[in-house]
Amino acid sequence: MWLPLLGLILGISLGLLTDIQIPSVYENYLSIAVLAALDTLFGGIRAQLQHVYDDKVFVSGFFFNIALAAGLAFLGVHLGVDLYLAAIFAFGVRLFQNIAVIRRMLLTKWTERKGTID
Amino acid sequence: MKQGVYVRFTFILLIVGFMVAVQYNTVQKPESRDTRDIWEIRQELSAEKQLHSELLSDIREVNETITKYENLQSESPAQALNETLETLREKAGLTIVTGPGLELVIEPSLEGIALGETISGISPDLLVRLLNEINRFNGHDVSIDGKRIIHSSPIRDINGQTTVNSLNVRTPPFKIRIGTETMEDAEKLYNHLQSSMIADDFFIDNLTLTIEEPKDQISIPAYDQPIENNYLKNTSKGD
Repeated sequence: MWLPLLGLILGISLGLLTDIQIPSVYENYLSIAVLAALDTLFGGIRAQLQHVYDDKVFVSGFFFNIALAAGLAFLGVHLGVDLYLAAIFAFGVRLFQNIAVIRRMLLTKWTERKGTID
Repeated sequence: MKQGVYVRFTFILLIVGFMVAVQYNTVQKPESRDTRDIWEIRQELSAEKQLHSELLSDIREVNETITKYENLQSESPAQALNETLETLREKAGLTIVTGPGLELVIEPSLEGIALGETISGISPDLLVRLLNEINRFNGHDVSIDGKRIIHSSPIRDINGQTTVNSLNVRTPPFKIRIGTETMEDAEKLYNHLQSSMIADDFFIDNLTLTIEEPKDQISIPAYDQPIENNYLKNTSKGD
């Protein structure tokens, strides 16, 4: 249970300590990549809770979504259409849905457990 | 199976954390914008130009020394070394300097005397301020009440007494002698001190600062105490 949290802390401290900064031109790409990563992450957690988790889907989805989001943003810049807004919208909606599903399932679990204790 | 899932989540979270941290770094520290206006840039440029010319004259000086060494190599290297040593001693303030310069006289103010106020010594802060003012305008060799100022001279309060080089400075009146490179520099320094606010600062302390006319012959005593050198070390040969 604590292992993923440790990974997160490790990642954040690694990023903060190395003090890497990317040029502001590419800031958009990184922000959208972060969003894609978070979306995949919560999708993975939901899948895990729903017992439909698949390693291949999760890992490939992670990298593919990031690449797709960044690629879409890149294309948008060159076409003069703010395509990254589409990506942000799509990921944002899915993020909220996923989190809502996770919340519901955790609530159900909790009430069930409470029922057995009582 | 369960363990594998955790490892994958850990790995993904590591990447997510890293990306978030990088994004945070980028957002938090934007590149500082250049907000100087044209006059500030001009001033900086002129400062750099001055540095440039100073460096050039330094190079010329060093080149002269090299030529001197080369010329004298066949004759007497010791003499050349001695000459260099003498120049260095002069620069360090270990010799008596005679040349153009001016004298400042610090006296108790007439108002202070008339009102019967006690005449206290000059404060180290005021002395440092005056010295900075002098240094700002090419005052090369300075002696305060007969105590030569060198690069490491302390000016401080010891038991309520203002001291220079750890020697007491007399209660005013006393004299400050300033040596300059040329008579022209002395004139400039004179005008600069006349127009500066430093005299007002003296008046607050019930003192008057009299700036005397530049003279073409003024003698400034040598620094006569041992120079402490705690931090510089010889480099080993070949460095």
